[in-house]
Amino acid sequence: MRSLILYLGLAWQSVSPDVVQHVQAGMEAQKQGRLKEAISEFKKVTELMPSLPAAFTNLGAAYMQDKQYGLAIAPLKRALELNPDLIGVHQMLGYALLEQGYTREAIPHLEKAHLQDALGVAQLKLGNYSAAIPNLQAALQKRPNDPELLYYLGRASGLLSRQVLDTLESAYPDSARAHQSLGENYAVLRRIPEAEKEYREALRLQPNAPGVHLELGQLYAAEKDWPKAEAEFRAETEIEPGDAETAYRYGNALLEEGKLKEALAELQRADRLQPDMPETLYALGKAASLSGDAAAAEKAWLRVVALDKNTSLAGQAHFGLSTLYRKQGKTAQAAHELSEFHRIQAPEQK
Amino acid sequence: MALQSLKSVSVLTASRATPFSFAIIDVQLLRFTLLAICALALYAAATVPPVFKIDPARGLNFKHQNSPTPLKYLIETMGGGVALLDYNNDGLLDIFLVNGGRLAGKMQSPEDFDRDDPAYWNRLYRQNRDGSFTDVTEAAGLAHAGAHNYGMGVTVADYDNDGFPDLYVTNYGKNKLYHNNGDGTFTDVTQKAGVAAGGWSASAGFVDYDNDGRLDLFVTRYMEWDTQHSKACGDAQPRYCPPGEFPATTNILYRNRGDGTFEDVSQKSGIAAKKGRALGVAFADYDEDGFADIFVANDGMEQYLFHNNRNSTFTEKGLEAGTALTDDGKPFSGMGVDFRDYDNDRRPDIIITDLARQNYAVYHNDGEGSFSYRTLQSGLAVLSGGSSGWGVRFEDFDNDGWKDLFVAQSHVMDNVEKVDPSLHYLEPPLLALNREGRFQRADSGVSTPLAGRGAAFGDLDNDGFIDVVMTVLGGRPLVLRNRGGATHWLTLSLRGIRSNRDGLGARVIANGQAQYATTAGSYLSASDKRVHFGLGAATSANVEIRWPSGTRQVLNNVPADQFLKIQEPEHP
Repeated sequence: MRSLILYLGLAWQSVSPDVVQHVQAGMEAQKQGRLKEAISEFKKVTELMPSLPAAFTNLGAAYMQDKQYGLAIAPLKRALELNPDLIGVHQMLGYALLEQGYTREAIPHLEKAHLQDALGVAQLKLGNYSAAIPNLQAALQKRPNDPELLYYLGRASGLLSRQVLDTLESAYPDSARAHQSLGENYAVLRRIPEAEKEYREALRLQPNAPGVHLELGQLYAAEKDWPKAEAEFRAETEIEPGDAETAYRYGNALLEEGKLKEALAELQRADRLQPDMPETLYALGKAASLSGDAAAAEKAWLRVVALDKNTSLAGQAHFGLSTLYRKQGKTAQAAHELSEFHRIQAPEQK
Repeated sequence: MALQSLKSVSVLTASRATPFSFAIIDVQLLRFTLLAICALALYAAATVPPVFKIDPARGLNFKHQNSPTPLKYLIETMGGGVALLDYNNDGLLDIFLVNGGRLAGKMQSPEDFDRDDPAYWNRLYRQNRDGSFTDVTEAAGLAHAGAHNYGMGVTVADYDNDGFPDLYVTNYGKNKLYHNNGDGTFTDVTQKAGVAAGGWSASAGFVDYDNDGRLDLFVTRYMEWDTQHSKACGDAQPRYCPPGEFPATTNILYRNRGDGTFEDVSQKSGIAAKKGRALGVAFADYDEDGFADIFVANDGMEQYLFHNNRNSTFTEKGLEAGTALTDDGKPFSGMGVDFRDYDNDRRPDIIITDLARQNYAVYHNDGEGSFSYRTLQSGLAVLSGGSSGWGVRFEDFDNDGWKDLFVAQSHVMDNVEKVDPSLHYLEPPLLALNREGRFQRADSGVSTPLAGRGAAFGDLDNDGFIDVVMTVLGGRPLVLRNRGGATHWLTLSLRGIRSNRDGLGARVIANGQAQYATTAGSYLSASDKRVHFGLGAATSANVEIRWPSGTRQVLNNVPADQFLKIQEPEHP
């Protein structure tokens, strides 16, 4: 914008005093926030100098500032007709077009202006998720805490995922992964019988497909159908014996069933596969505590609270420690852990 | 017969343990063993009969009226109390059922629940010798529950020690105390007794908390709620609001003065110091100090364990004792409760029913005032994770010497399937048999999903096996007659002399098992006051009673399979 004003300034000598007066009046009004007045002044400039790109640029900029994006489009387009290399005008026009829903038309201008955030949003709106995601990621690197960018990146990623899976389901409807994908959809909707049917079909087609037993197990676990969950997690551990998450989930299902010895062994295995996973450590502490091994329980839970300071899992570990110390007669330590538990709980309850 | 015709043949077979040696086995024995194993497996899989059979209960024509409305008044989904009592002392248990009331659209204050309409009466059914029932509500003087009262629960005990069980009915509104006149009729003595309470009362129970020989009264109250301040939750699909949407309130403790009146000691006893959202109450002496303690099941918050300080005051010790939250430190929707020893270590444990996806909570009494969360080890996580429970009891239904578990089940939301298709509003009750401290699902004989609520337990037909009456929200109650079996039992009727006449609060040990004499527990319901033991194969029992007065009484070699009346010694 500033460069455009400067350009106008350089042309000062060849313009009439009328034009200069309107330009100055417009700029003053714009500076003081009297945008309607500025627009009126800049309009007069465009009438007096219809070949001057800066005149249309100033008018477009005033409309933009006044949030009249629709009215900004024509003067900005005219400015570019007169001088296609004005990057700042591409920027404004890109925003204005995007704002007004002319997304496809906005994209070339946003590309020329290298506006990755707006470009990413435009690409998202047009369904070009794979192009939108790198642009939004790049913008997010510059503004990591921008909620708008976080939202759009999340949405683009989700939609890309859906698009790919839709392609999978339509192009290869009889594949195991297509059935798995449908199972996932039903699982989200809590339509358990349908989800179960799709997962089972996936397993019929590809009995050793990694991840299907795990998801089916999670479906049953959410239903608290622990025997069925245990069977699925066990099957997954046979397919992927090195997967720590599967080992944890299998151990946790065993724990819920009260099979303490087996649970303890599986959770210890999960811990070896991926040390310092708080979920595993918490469950390990619980299994140890229920098995009467207070020292092992204490060790696991202390590690949880060292890794996770303020999460609900840390709260649970503090509660477990409080119970453990209470049983041991360590009143002060029990009280401390209980207060830590309450400290973490309090914001959650709010 | 085929087995007998087989020739016993000795063969040589390789032994796995010692590959170069040989062991001799008997083919006939092997065959017999295999056949026996197969037969046992088949028996277990297919021929074990249900524990109960559904009794058509001729004459019991009660239908609970909850009057569900689109406005989703919370009281609609919470009611359904039932009591088992022998009101006329003829030796047969009778049934009292609490009704709801009429709700129609937006209620005006004061509400009129149309309780004068016979459809909304509470009902008393006298059991006849042939097992049928006769409605004696009107003749007994129990027809009028109060126009402004929407019925909830009931508790039973002989509060004036005259030998006849009295009734206390809880309501949204004012509660009612009906004194049993001993001639088949009752008199509403609420006003004189001073026990009307008010607000929204739920479960109640008689307990002699100060061991003065007079039964006091504990009344739970759910929350500060009334029809004028009701609301429904959920936008597209209106549903009953969770309890946290309404303020908590206090429970009430009434001390029996012994002259037919009660004193509200909620404040001075410390009970009112803790506000809650109480639905269930049960009593036991968990620390064996000779004084009754009180457990209160709260909905959606910490559970309360009121420890009796032996000086007519209580201290809430839930967190300290380990009974307030799950072992993960999570609150849950406590509804029904029982306070009874399930693992035969003689210490009373606790079970609390709650909503699906929470697990019924089992707290094992470890002694020295401390409990452990034992839901996982007891098998309850597997049995209850997908279910919602209300009325509940640890009771030895098969008389094998281990207390089993019965739970009346149903979700609280009648449209829960629309909110979460994987949950179910209607559910069959849960029966789980106790296998040395771990529960295993068994066939209750009820496969139909129902909206179970209250449940009362007692021996309806005096066959030594405990029966169940379960209420159904907006439906007809279910009478479940125990099919019985070959195991032995002993049922005691306590007669207090220095203690309260019903002997409530007595701790009874028989062959190592413990029972606590109480009619309270479950949800909104009152059970048979008699103390029952399953004895398994034992044909006699050694019985020890510690009366609330402190008197200890021992009876050795009491023959099994009898109803035995035991009177408290006049002198300690």
